[in-house]
Amino acid sequence: MNTIEEKLWSYIDGTCTPEDMQNISRLIASDESVRLKYQELLAFDKEFAAMELDEPSMAFTYNVIEAIRTQEAMVPLKTRVNKRIILGIVLFFVVSLTGFLVYALSQMDISSAKVPDIVSKVSVNVKLPQVNTHISKPLVEGFMFFDVVLGLYLFDKYLRRKNAGQLLSKK
Amino acid sequence: MQSKLSDIELIEQVLAGNQAAYADLVKRHQRFVFTLAMRYAKSREDAEEIAQDCFVKVYRSLASFQGHAKFTTWLYSIVYTTAMTFLRKKRVDTDSIDDEGTFIQVESQASVYDVNNAENKSRSFYLSQAIEQLLPDDAAIITLFYKGEQSLEEIAQALGMEANTVKVKLFRARQRLKEKLERNLKHEAKELI
Repeated sequence: MNTIEEKLWSYIDGTCTPEDMQNISRLIASDESVRLKYQELLAFDKEFAAMELDEPSMAFTYNVIEAIRTQEAMVPLKTRVNKRIILGIVLFFVVSLTGFLVYALSQMDISSAKVPDIVSKVSVNVKLPQVNTHISKPLVEGFMFFDVVLGLYLFDKYLRRKNAGQLLSKK
Repeated sequence: MQSKLSDIELIEQVLAGNQAAYADLVKRHQRFVFTLAMRYAKSREDAEEIAQDCFVKVYRSLASFQGHAKFTTWLYSIVYTTAMTFLRKKRVDTDSIDDEGTFIQVESQASVYDVNNAENKSRSFYLSQAIEQLLPDDAAIITLFYKGEQSLEEIAQALGMEANTVKVKLFRARQRLKEKLERNLKHEAKELI
């Protein structure tokens, strides 16, 4: 601390050491000019402490809450969906399918050529269509051509989306 | 009657999903946050934008509030960073915020506007006028110290400075404020004579 004014401000704020407090108190009591300065600073301190706070507009709180609600509404759906729910659904299907598979395998008698009991017990009277007669070479080629075109279209769409994402991140 | 809840209790309610508790928290601190924003923005519209941004940021990061410091200290540090970001955006084609003349110019226009309304002028008016003429950091430190119930260490934490630096800045800010207040009052006395 250098000046007497600095010392007096610290004294008023109560931020100086107890030893300094005693010294300054003594100085205020003994020195007329220091006492006058102290009284002047004390008056300013009271005035500063009495400063008034500004008031925002009446709708301020409402605007804040609305802004929060708007931002919350703008959050993409995928970030709001609880991942645990998705995992739960996946788990349910995996367990169910595994259960069915295990049950089906346990009912099968792989060693013998016999028809499994479960099948023999159920009287099935279904006539399967003869698909082989309809499958011809041009049909297979047409099907393959359609698959290739669909594959190219989806690949093109994927590349476009990837490029658009890269451009946005650069901006 | 229900006793007034503390900031921490309100925060706990907000984190439990009670948005009305956050409205209470905003109402409790909005005057101080807005005043602090005014120290940097100098226009009510900008100050409202800063204060609003600040409360939205606080809501979004409320879960990360550890509670090691006072909620107000954390809140004021967010006001400070929000105000700085806002000013940086706005300063693209304007003068530096460290240029004291910028604020004197703005204030002098306000003084001319208010000069005929002498009857309404009180000591608090001159004090507000003098604070507006200070540099934003000086005005903010004085406001935090006198109205924010913050210690020098807490102000230092909010503004990202050393406590000793804040102490020196507070001393200088008070000196400048005292000078400006005295000058404004002398000027007014001359006008009345």
